[in-house]
Amino acid sequence: MAAAAELSLLEKSLGLSKGNKYSAQGERQIPVLQTNNGPSLTGLTTIAAHLVKQANKEYLLGSTAEEKAIVQQWLEYRVTQVDGHSSKNDIHTLLKDLNSYLEDKVYLTGYNFTLADILLYYGLHRFIVDLTVQEKEKYLNVSRWFCHIQHYPGIRQHLSSVVFIKNRLYTNSH
Amino acid sequence: MGFGDLKSPAGLQVLNDYLADKSYIEGYVPSQADVAVFEAVSSPPPADLCHALRWYNHIKSYEKEKASLPGVKKALGKYGPADVEDTTGSGATDSKDDDDIDLFGSDDEEESEEAKRLREERLAQYESKKAKKPALVAKSSILLDVKPWDDETDMAKLEECVRSIQADGLVWGSSKLVPVGYGIKKLQIQCVVEDDKVGTDMLEEQITAFEDYVQSMDVAAFNKI
Repeated sequence: MAAAAELSLLEKSLGLSKGNKYSAQGERQIPVLQTNNGPSLTGLTTIAAHLVKQANKEYLLGSTAEEKAIVQQWLEYRVTQVDGHSSKNDIHTLLKDLNSYLEDKVYLTGYNFTLADILLYYGLHRFIVDLTVQEKEKYLNVSRWFCHIQHYPGIRQHLSSVVFIKNRLYTNSH
Repeated sequence: MGFGDLKSPAGLQVLNDYLADKSYIEGYVPSQADVAVFEAVSSPPPADLCHALRWYNHIKSYEKEKASLPGVKKALGKYGPADVEDTTGSGATDSKDDDDIDLFGSDDEEESEEAKRLREERLAQYESKKAKKPALVAKSSILLDVKPWDDETDMAKLEECVRSIQADGLVWGSSKLVPVGYGIKKLQIQCVVEDDKVGTDMLEEQITAFEDYVQSMDVAAFNKI
């Protein structure tokens, strides 16, 4: 998904009225937002954080210092690791790591829903839709987290809903 | 329903398996269902039951807001997987001792040669009659609602994009613009599909891929023809 389209999705989920115009620059199509006053903002995480503050929902950036740091880390991870690699092997390594991380967590920061969950959901969507049933069960914690986020009100919008089968088809996977 | 005795390792195992692919006991938000089950668990689950421990720690973080969580609190036996017997009422476990008598079994009589030949002949007749029947092509008529981003979206362009989707077994029909509100109109378009070749999932993926024009798509009507 193009970064501009994703930021439009984010605007909508934050409750902001649609009015921003995005452009892209450079070979990797880095998103740029021209604000009304002041310099333009460059980069997905920068613009996303700006939109969150604009919507007065700063709790999405973390409530404690540790949570803020973890959110920042996952936003960085989203841009460098998820967007930076697209091969099949890289994706499976990524899902494997994420599966381990989410074993004892409901959300990425632990107990609270944050911007990190939103942007990682958007970033991973195109990969999760192509997973087989066996792969979804192999990465069970990622599937649980993804299914949870996609049911969060206002987040999914026009992205296709990924089906997670309730019954376990492949035993001895964990 | 129920988890069994949640103070025993067996009950915690049931809870762990139940929560492997869920964040909460019911739905997608913490509720009184989680409070009820949380209170039945006397101590944190052991580390090897990682899903139950994840859930326990998460609900524990809602300690201060327990009373205000949504939902209606029910008896403990009302929650959990359907195939687990509810033992919260009584601790006794009756062991059913039934002799297994097969009332419908029959002696394995030897078929006569004549009966066997006749049966196989009739099977062959049925098979050949079945093969002659032409296979019917299953088709459906689908009415789709395609919604634009706002009232400034070029609806003619949007329709052009939708009709540009071509596939074997897909035929586009008539369309019209239906007002939704605030000056926004949605495209209502008919199509006929062969069920084996085209599905609504595929259509939804391809239509919503036009991100500049399409905000979302719904199936308004689906009829077999």
